[in-house]
Amino acid sequence: MAKKALSVKRDVPFPLYDVDLLSASDEDLKRVSSEMSLGLSLDEMKVITDYFRKEGRNPTDVELESLGQAWSEHCCYKSSKNILKEFVFSVKHPDVLSRGDAGVMSFDDDHGYALRIESHNHPSAIEPYGGAATGIGGIIRDIVCMGAQPVGLGDPLCFGPLDRKGELPPGTKHPKYLLSGAVSGIRDYGNRIGVPTITGGFFFDERYTTNCLVNVSALGIVRKDELTNNFAGGPGETMILIGGRTGRDGIHGVTFASADLTSTSDEDSRGAVQLGDPITKEPIIHACLEVNHLGLITGMKDLGGGGLSCVVGEMALSAGECGADVDLDKVPLKEPGLAPWEIWVSESQERMMVTCKPENTEKILEVFSLWDVLATPVAVTTDVPRTRVYWKGTKILDMDTEFLTGGPAYNRPYVNPEVSCKDKETFPKIPSAGEVIPEMLSDLNIASKEWAIRQFDFEVRGATALGPMVGKLNAAGPGDASIVMPVPGSFRGLAAVMGCNPWFTEADPYNGTMSSVEEALRGLVAVGARPDAITNCLNFGNPEKPDRLGVFREAVRGLGDICKALEIPIPSGNVSLYNEGSVGEGVLPTPMIMATGIIEDTRKAVSADFKEPGNRIYLVGKTKDEMGASLLFRKYGGSGGAVPASDPMVFKRISEKLLTAMGKKLIRSCHDCSDGGLAVAVAEMCLSGRVGARIDVPKGAQENVWLYSESNTRWIAEVSKSAAAEFERIMGSDAEVIGETGGDALTVAGSSIPVSSLYESWSRPLWDIMGGTA
Amino acid sequence: MKAEDVKVCVIRIEGTNCEDEMYQAFRMVGASPELVHLKQLAGKAPDHAKRNLEDYDILAFPGGFSAGDYVRAGAIFAARIKSDIGPQLRKFVESEKPVLGVCNGFQTLVELGLLPAFEGVMSETPTAALSTNDSGRFECRPTYLRNDNRGNCIFTSEIKKGKISMFPLAHAEGKLLSADPRFLEKLEENDQVVFRYVGPGGAKAVYPWNPNGSPSDIAGICNPAGNVLGMMPHPERVMTRYTHQDWTSCKGPEEGDGMAVFRSVMKKLTK
Repeated sequence: MAKKALSVKRDVPFPLYDVDLLSASDEDLKRVSSEMSLGLSLDEMKVITDYFRKEGRNPTDVELESLGQAWSEHCCYKSSKNILKEFVFSVKHPDVLSRGDAGVMSFDDDHGYALRIESHNHPSAIEPYGGAATGIGGIIRDIVCMGAQPVGLGDPLCFGPLDRKGELPPGTKHPKYLLSGAVSGIRDYGNRIGVPTITGGFFFDERYTTNCLVNVSALGIVRKDELTNNFAGGPGETMILIGGRTGRDGIHGVTFASADLTSTSDEDSRGAVQLGDPITKEPIIHACLEVNHLGLITGMKDLGGGGLSCVVGEMALSAGECGADVDLDKVPLKEPGLAPWEIWVSESQERMMVTCKPENTEKILEVFSLWDVLATPVAVTTDVPRTRVYWKGTKILDMDTEFLTGGPAYNRPYVNPEVSCKDKETFPKIPSAGEVIPEMLSDLNIASKEWAIRQFDFEVRGATALGPMVGKLNAAGPGDASIVMPVPGSFRGLAAVMGCNPWFTEADPYNGTMSSVEEALRGLVAVGARPDAITNCLNFGNPEKPDRLGVFREAVRGLGDICKALEIPIPSGNVSLYNEGSVGEGVLPTPMIMATGIIEDTRKAVSADFKEPGNRIYLVGKTKDEMGASLLFRKYGGSGGAVPASDPMVFKRISEKLLTAMGKKLIRSCHDCSDGGLAVAVAEMCLSGRVGARIDVPKGAQENVWLYSESNTRWIAEVSKSAAAEFERIMGSDAEVIGETGGDALTVAGSSIPVSSLYESWSRPLWDIMGGTA
Repeated sequence: MKAEDVKVCVIRIEGTNCEDEMYQAFRMVGASPELVHLKQLAGKAPDHAKRNLEDYDILAFPGGFSAGDYVRAGAIFAARIKSDIGPQLRKFVESEKPVLGVCNGFQTLVELGLLPAFEGVMSETPTAALSTNDSGRFECRPTYLRNDNRGNCIFTSEIKKGKISMFPLAHAEGKLLSADPRFLEKLEENDQVVFRYVGPGGAKAVYPWNPNGSPSDIAGICNPAGNVLGMMPHPERVMTRYTHQDWTSCKGPEEGDGMAVFRSVMKKLTK
């Protein structure tokens, strides 16, 4: 810490320093930021110095620490918010009930559903078990603080190749270790709090080796009349700190998350990774929802990044120019001897803040007491828009709340990326379909994730109508969206699915991001759900590098364009930058999309497994010559090529028709075409239903493009012969017959592959690497 | 007794996490369930929240990870119950009121000594244990279960002997073991075996159809009197066919397979 030259210890019986910014040189300011691990730039330090000049005094170390948290990229989105404002924030929608810590959409007349996704990348690269577990903990708090009961979890994960050989860059842990730790963390936390893990995704690429991505998402259900605010009701209210004790774990988590990982992050930042405790969390969920249900609270917010230093100011400020007086002595601690700044910024897990009218305080404490959950009044809201913190009678922080929580916003320089195109395409030499299809099914990005999925309880709460795997019991194949029925007694379903194509996004950020969104929406339509909203976690590189920011900007533009065109709201979102890894190569740009949809009658849902022989197989939508960044090219060494584009209006037209046909129960099975194209989609339907198929490549089609192109807006649909006429009438020219179900093999392009070997190719790879059997 | 007069105590502490669906399952068969924290039964709650176990007609232990299950599954919950309401619980079981334990609830019943309870209703120390799955992993799977009870168990009176049902399960510790060399024989003699894992079509269950390696494929047992049932799979998760994992690909009645367990016990109480 910058205590020696610039900091003067205050004459009080605890560590408190006044930091001399007012007479500091530029060099001094940089040193203060670096030595205190504030992560603030020189310009930001100057703005802060100017602020304190107006206050007529130097800041305390507590105040600087507080600003370091609040102004971090993680907390204030300083590099991304102007870009998001330009392209995304204009997407408005009447069904958005709230854009709080989680977004909330209308579900039915009486209920809303909450959705959110966020990243826990940097902690997971250091300590995957704790990183993933606390990621779940954090996302669940975001759902609960809307007053919503969590009903589903999702966990998209990106790692380096599991069979990676050779030396790892310094400070990097092997992908297999990271995956194993992350899956165990999700299992032990998610299963313990009793929320089903219903969706997710696994992405493997060398570019994730030094910087894995662990994203976590959650869904919740809330009565509309119990929807909570994330801020106080006004001045004169009590702020009650709920849950775990505060300790030194999780100090500087947000500043850690707002910088590149380095080869020594493990040693430097271990303390930034928190410890999760699901059995403290589980009763917190019950008790928080109960005090909300009883109408005792005015607001609720979770303590995440920045801990108390962020939550207090934000809850007061949003209450309408309020402030807060905090008695830091009241905060229950894990151990004695913490400095006041550590208590103020610690990100110890399993903590929430609720605000209430003073007369309700006792009743609230009673509810928490029954659940043996700590609940302690620690602050009061005031009508002065300042945050003031006291420790042992001394005022240690006194700042304008808006200045403290606002944070800067930048228009950083960027360069637009070059995109992959048809002109520079090299089509690889490939073997027959009989070899290519099993090879693709065995690619870890396609192959079965059963090893992980069955370690997650995807059916707790007893409301999962479609899970992550569909088809034969104990020999199931891949599904599209999952569906839960969150309101007991009602068959109205909430569908959720992940979509992301980082390879497309790398080759063409604009089209790649649109494709990622469309892929997620197609997954919803494939099960019969009407797309309703998306939430996104944008995992990109260092925004201070203009080429990285250019990629980010194009991706956000794509995100905004498709959502505006389809009128799909984005009620919540998260940005994770500085995913560079220790060698500075940067991760694949990864716009992780969770899409949600509503199916009015879950009893009409459609799954992706072929149901019986003798049915017609239709290709819905058109295949185009869009081979850029396709699985085929990645596997067999193709280069260039156009990345699939999305035409939202065509998507809208065709998905409406498909939903109509599903509503009339005309479709026996349906699967979205994405990675690996039509060939992989059909193969997956065969192996999950244990039904073979004959596929006829249309005359005049370029066979390898038709089979393996990953063009958007396509599904495979199985329709019985008796329903075919009506199906064709609804679909018109948007569907064509390409074959028929039946037999024990997939017969296509002169090859015939037994269904049993399709299943083997698809189901074995992850088990073989991670150990165990299905 | 009318169905709505049947009061069900769905007991919970921190970490029991399947109480909502257990509550709903009893609602679906017309009973009046209530979620009750152990502290409410132990007098450790404000007056308005205090409850007496004897006021209830059925006691249900839901699944989950009670108290985190950081030691043997169900052990902490059982120890707290014994110390808080041990005598009341014994009286409840002695009066032959029905007790259901699913998953972690089954583990808790075994830790409490309420199962297998070869002698008396509640043994001093556990005489069996639900041990770690042979796979060493948490397993979330569908299972086929055959009702092998000959009529003793109050929770299967509406299920034909030999009928095969599909219940899902999700646990890491479900292998029923005992140091008693005559354990399986005694269970058979007393008609305490209720559900066995079977393969498709009723074939002998091999992994993954017997997902944990439980000897003799035992998935659920009752006490000698037949009023206490513990089972690893979750009947409360399949109350309609639309949560059966394969409902989109096969035909079947609207009612889920789990409903029969709850209808059975209600039939006895509402006769």
